[in-house]
Amino acid sequence: MSKLLRILCTAAYVLYAVIAYSQGTRISGRVTAADDGSPLPGVNVLLKGTTIGTATDSDGRYALSIPTPGGSLLFSFIGLQTTEAEIGERTVVDVSMISDATQLTEVVVTALGIERQSRELGYAVSGVKSEDLLVARESNILNQLQGKVTGVTITQSSGNLGGSTKILVRGITSLSGRNDPLWVLDGVPINNAHDNTSTQNNRITGNRDFANGASVINPDDVESITVLKGAAATALYGSRAAAGVILVTTKKGKASQGKATVTFNSSLRFDNLFRTPDYQNQYAGGSFFKYDSSFVASSWGERIEGQLVTESLTGNVVPLQAYPDNINDFYRQGKSLINNISFSDGNEKGDYRLSVSSLNQTGILPNAALDRLTASFNAGMKHSEKLKSRFGLQYINTQSQGTGVQGANDPNIFGVTSFVRSTNYNNYKPWIDANGNQLGTAGPTDNNPFWIQHENKNERDDERFLANFETTYNPIQSLSFTARVGYDFDNDNRLITNRVGTRSRATGDFLIDKIKRTQANVDIIGTYFKDLNQEFNLKLLGGFNYNKRHFSSETLFSQNLAVPELFNPANASVNTPTRGFAEQVLLGVFGEASLSYKNWATLSLTARNDWSSTLPVDNRSYFYPSASLAVVLTDALDIKSNVLNYAKLRISGAQVGNDTGPYQLDFQFFPVSQATGQYSLNVNFPFAGRLGFGAANTLPAGSALLPEKTTNYEFGTELQFFNSRIVLDAAYFYSSNTDQIISLTIPPSTGFSARVLNAGEVVTSGVEISLDASVVKTSNFSWNSIVNFSHAESKVERLAPGLDRFLIASEFNNIQVVAVPGKEYQLFGTSYLRDETSGRIIINPQDGLPQAGPLKTFGSVLPDFTMGFINNFSFKGFTLSTTIDWRSGGLISSTTAGTLWSNGNSTETAINREGSYIITAGVLANGDGTFRDNDIPVRTTQTFWQGLTPGGAAESQIFDASFVKFRELGLSYSFPKSLIGNTFVKGIQVGIEARNLALLYSKVPHIDPEATLFGAGADGLGVERNSVPSTRSIGFNLRITL
Amino acid sequence: MKSMTKYFIVVMAMVVILTIPISCSDQLDINTNPLTASSADPNVVLPFVIVQYSNRKTTEIGLRMMDVWQHISNIFNSPKGGGNAAGGFLSGNFWGMLYPQAIKNLVLVENEAKAKGVTNNNIAAVAITLRALVFYDITACWESAPFTQAMNGAQFPSPEFDDQETILNGIVDLCDEAMALIDAMPATGNALLTGDLIYNGDMTLWRRFANSLKLRVLMMIRNKDTSVDTEIAATLGQPLIETNAHAAMLKYSGTAGNVNAWLQLVTAFGTGSNETTNYCGPSPVIRDLLEGDPRLELWCVDGTNGNYEASDIGIFPNATKARISNNVIRGNLPDAWFLPAEVTLYRAELAAKGVIAGNVNDLYRQGVTLSLQWWGGAIPGAQKTLTPTEISNYVNSLPDITGLTQNEQLQAIGEEQYLQTFWMPIEAWTHVRRTKIPDIQAAPGSTITTMLKRLQWSPTEVSANPNNPIQQLTDVPMWFEN
Repeated sequence: MSKLLRILCTAAYVLYAVIAYSQGTRISGRVTAADDGSPLPGVNVLLKGTTIGTATDSDGRYALSIPTPGGSLLFSFIGLQTTEAEIGERTVVDVSMISDATQLTEVVVTALGIERQSRELGYAVSGVKSEDLLVARESNILNQLQGKVTGVTITQSSGNLGGSTKILVRGITSLSGRNDPLWVLDGVPINNAHDNTSTQNNRITGNRDFANGASVINPDDVESITVLKGAAATALYGSRAAAGVILVTTKKGKASQGKATVTFNSSLRFDNLFRTPDYQNQYAGGSFFKYDSSFVASSWGERIEGQLVTESLTGNVVPLQAYPDNINDFYRQGKSLINNISFSDGNEKGDYRLSVSSLNQTGILPNAALDRLTASFNAGMKHSEKLKSRFGLQYINTQSQGTGVQGANDPNIFGVTSFVRSTNYNNYKPWIDANGNQLGTAGPTDNNPFWIQHENKNERDDERFLANFETTYNPIQSLSFTARVGYDFDNDNRLITNRVGTRSRATGDFLIDKIKRTQANVDIIGTYFKDLNQEFNLKLLGGFNYNKRHFSSETLFSQNLAVPELFNPANASVNTPTRGFAEQVLLGVFGEASLSYKNWATLSLTARNDWSSTLPVDNRSYFYPSASLAVVLTDALDIKSNVLNYAKLRISGAQVGNDTGPYQLDFQFFPVSQATGQYSLNVNFPFAGRLGFGAANTLPAGSALLPEKTTNYEFGTELQFFNSRIVLDAAYFYSSNTDQIISLTIPPSTGFSARVLNAGEVVTSGVEISLDASVVKTSNFSWNSIVNFSHAESKVERLAPGLDRFLIASEFNNIQVVAVPGKEYQLFGTSYLRDETSGRIIINPQDGLPQAGPLKTFGSVLPDFTMGFINNFSFKGFTLSTTIDWRSGGLISSTTAGTLWSNGNSTETAINREGSYIITAGVLANGDGTFRDNDIPVRTTQTFWQGLTPGGAAESQIFDASFVKFRELGLSYSFPKSLIGNTFVKGIQVGIEARNLALLYSKVPHIDPEATLFGAGADGLGVERNSVPSTRSIGFNLRITL
Repeated sequence: MKSMTKYFIVVMAMVVILTIPISCSDQLDINTNPLTASSADPNVVLPFVIVQYSNRKTTEIGLRMMDVWQHISNIFNSPKGGGNAAGGFLSGNFWGMLYPQAIKNLVLVENEAKAKGVTNNNIAAVAITLRALVFYDITACWESAPFTQAMNGAQFPSPEFDDQETILNGIVDLCDEAMALIDAMPATGNALLTGDLIYNGDMTLWRRFANSLKLRVLMMIRNKDTSVDTEIAATLGQPLIETNAHAAMLKYSGTAGNVNAWLQLVTAFGTGSNETTNYCGPSPVIRDLLEGDPRLELWCVDGTNGNYEASDIGIFPNATKARISNNVIRGNLPDAWFLPAEVTLYRAELAAKGVIAGNVNDLYRQGVTLSLQWWGGAIPGAQKTLTPTEISNYVNSLPDITGLTQNEQLQAIGEEQYLQTFWMPIEAWTHVRRTKIPDIQAAPGSTITTMLKRLQWSPTEVSANPNNPIQQLTDVPMWFEN
């Protein structure tokens, strides 16, 4: 709490400092916190009965001159009991201040970076503090929020180094995939784009997951993360914040004991496969009990009994044996080295903080590596009592290689499904000969997996600059103007290659993808505070926002290389350049009026009008209001109780508009560079000297397009018991998103594959409960326990007229995620043919196998609820932190599980392999509408497992995606001062950190139930295919403060 | 303190000036994509349609299905055994090209041309003929499909599926409309047709093609409904593709970026040519039919086993077995859409059935001759040729079929029709389903009991269009098969 108070006081110091008189008796002193003796900066010090006063500095010290000796000093600040001290004859008056439980409140960062007392807020916010983000650092900061914040669902798509993570705030509200929250770093929006690079430009064909834009945020630089969830909380950010806001506040410089602070934080971590499939080890590669050394994926061969066979790849005659751990002959142990050093200092005039971090990772995939260098610098200066300014710069360079390829139809895909049980994967080495030819290929379409990882490049070099500058002018104490400028520049260069000799790309190719994203943001904000009288306090805010986003890409796809590994277009006989471009501008004016009554009731009204470049001229201006009310009941009713020491009710309502992407309005013809074909067998334009142009496949919206509209209500309460030992926060929310701008997948037979229009409504409602209990608190031992519960139901109320199904995302094999009225997002696909009366599967009498039935929805892909269990134990210098993450409900379709079966590699497929199968759960049709128990045997076990997907029916590989994970563990020890001694070292902390320790519960066989095919860029939750396996990480941490 | 105020004002002014240099309206009027055009000349749209159609058809129906009708023994990811491969990606890709890419652009071209009047009849006629060709492909692959309500999303957002009879009759009407437009062309002043990669603007050849396509479709209808015999006779009286100089095809240069996908497939998966990588080999069915036929050497190279021994269905060849020659799988192999032998062999078939008058044996031999001439040298870029003497010697060696029974005559003609459609995927598939000649059996390991009869509809169409009928199993014959 003292830390919180220090932050509060620092802010207050800046806001309320007054110039001390230079005449009379000089009184000085130091103000400290009663509970731990730490200095309290920013405390108001007032000579009672006068206007003479000052505030304490960052070290808690103050000095002021009083005209005559004697009198009393009043020391005050929010959250502390006002203390009066007689001066008497003293010139040094030191004061120790104690917390005031009745006023105790937090200051939180809200929209536009404005700090507000939490008691004034009529909506829910959730936050994560710096120390919680450093328990077990991740390359993608989003992963560290898992389980720690109510109302958000975070899904890590795979174990790819630098892979993306999907975050949903209060479920899905948009049919068009605009469900990503807005990321705001130090008051400035930054891009969280997830740009895909693929020769086929989709996420299922050879998808390389190169992370989402916000993943570059360095956990070591973050002071706090605040999640603004409801529309009332985000209304001032305008339409871009319709799916919530993640506010990231970076650390600022401050002095420690009057000196600069240097911290060093280092972690070494080891990554291993989190979950490996349960492989069988009784049967060899081959088919129908016949061993075949050329089989590269399936193990339907003969029983392994040491018989002499020709070994796969080497051709040697050897005893047939199983290689139970051959998956680890390919995957390896990854390592992560994370180092951060920071320098910071500050005084009443200014502050700075310089931080440099390096993240060096090697992945579980051979040759996979990621190196990230982050340098950040921020500084603030108080030019005068009326003017201050601050700037921040961050440079992040991320270089990665060996990113695993997911999905299908790409020669570089290799997954856990393909480990033939009798193959020694060490025999795949070496994978290349002296002449550059590929070695160790078993069939004409197969590539050596080591060749894929070592010879075919997936390289990325991403440079990111994040800059912000703001200046604030206070002409009078109650009035301030702030101008804030931010710029986000991302220069993302990717090189994807297939070396000459790669099967299916034997002539070699390379793809250079240069992506540039910029975002400029300007906010001009004026605020005015006025105490109308002793009871009413008024805060006014008005401002203007300018936001411009720019995207451009230049892609060169070069094929047929003369000299292998020479990635120069002149070395390729076919070069296909393409360009991409998008630009949009949003202008907004906004205002807020907030009226407080006796500091226990606050009514806030906001209004914003946006003008968007992406909407039709007549519809591009849209207005939306919000209102919120917060009442602190314990103050209002003057409840003085140690049992219930704080009770707040909050209620809010808001309406938010939203625009769309650029260029959705007009009919367009695209110049075409390639006529595409299966297997990327393309033909180029000009063709015989002729250019090619084709009309867009999306039917444009025209001038009738309207902005989207979200209406949101929220009720909540915050209750604190037993002097805030137990804090309960609960919220119910409801939002209705109408007039959604969707690119509706329409029948291709209309001539278009999609149509942009306003349609549909998604209603999302839910409950969030957070219980924070200080279970044990003694001088030596403390146990703090937090339970977060979030339930959100995102129901599609209606789609376009006449439409009963809307495609959200599609995978192969007819598995789709669709929106259906009256339901949450559904998994949809071909079902088994069933007897409608009994629900039993109708068996094909020819082969004893299930048959394809009608298309159907199988259930929601969204979880019913998520829970996080966080426990922090502290004993003397030891701190133990644990996080358990529970997700309940939702479905997942796992092609990986299905392929493990059809390949005969998993344990289930070895059960009764040499026996016969009768699907006793099935029935046979008698031909007269009646059915009888099935008695038709399936020919072989292999036939059974390979016959589970008749006609693309994926029913057998759809599972309940619920899981419980032991997500995070941190054990640290801080050396006591007595051990460190009186040296320049202020603190040493060592620790063990671990992530993804255990999958405590899951119904999905063989894979991490959290995996998704579509990554962060789409709402295709619930579909998995050939994911790069996720990892379990265990490491060590050392933190030194100088 | 005043200086600080000035400082703030300067900073604020800079912020505003630097970021908002012009009016709000100008800032917002940027919603036009600088990389696209609002309209396009038909002469750049037609090449896109023609090349995209050719390449997608070749890579989906060609090099994934050539073993369905057993021109070759095996191919990657073939749906010949039924099951999942007969729908999904294959159908989605092909359907997704035929409707949104080919037909839509053709309709746009046609509408614009018609709006410009008779001087643009040539452009409209080409667009309509190509549309008829695409719908022929659609019904040949999926039987029923949106036709009458297709391409009109405003009125029919979920187009109803028409049955095959309706579609085939509609194609006949399209061909008639195209020919009527060509007949109404003015003598001079016609629009330039530089985007015509098939006939380079020669509308007399387009008329032959439209009429020949009409004949092909009428032959399908006739298989079920002989009431079209009169119309067939009338069609045969109009100009048709009668010589190899009339052949409808898209020529590939074979130079980088303009390579027939068959060769691209071979070079993508291996080094060299099909003769060295052994991906494609003749099936036993076609091998047997080619016994003594000079086309055997044009289409195949022998394996070390000799006698052009074919690989079994479902098995890739190796060096011991016959393989498809580099004379077929080459970069400059044209994509043939209609060859004269097809017309002539239709005549022979109709004569054998007594529908038209004519010497069955002569027509049969003329058809074989045209096919041999095509593969023997008329086809662009032929690497192996036949002399006229070699052709005539072989044709003269064929038994006279005059005295055979009608079924025996039809068997002989049907076998030649099967050979005539070599490397013309949809035509070959249609032929074996229409005539059952040769008798193609289900591939080993099939989940279906016959040769693949149809594809499953595009998953996207099925998902997005509530009016799709129930999928038929892939061994259910189509309407035209009778």
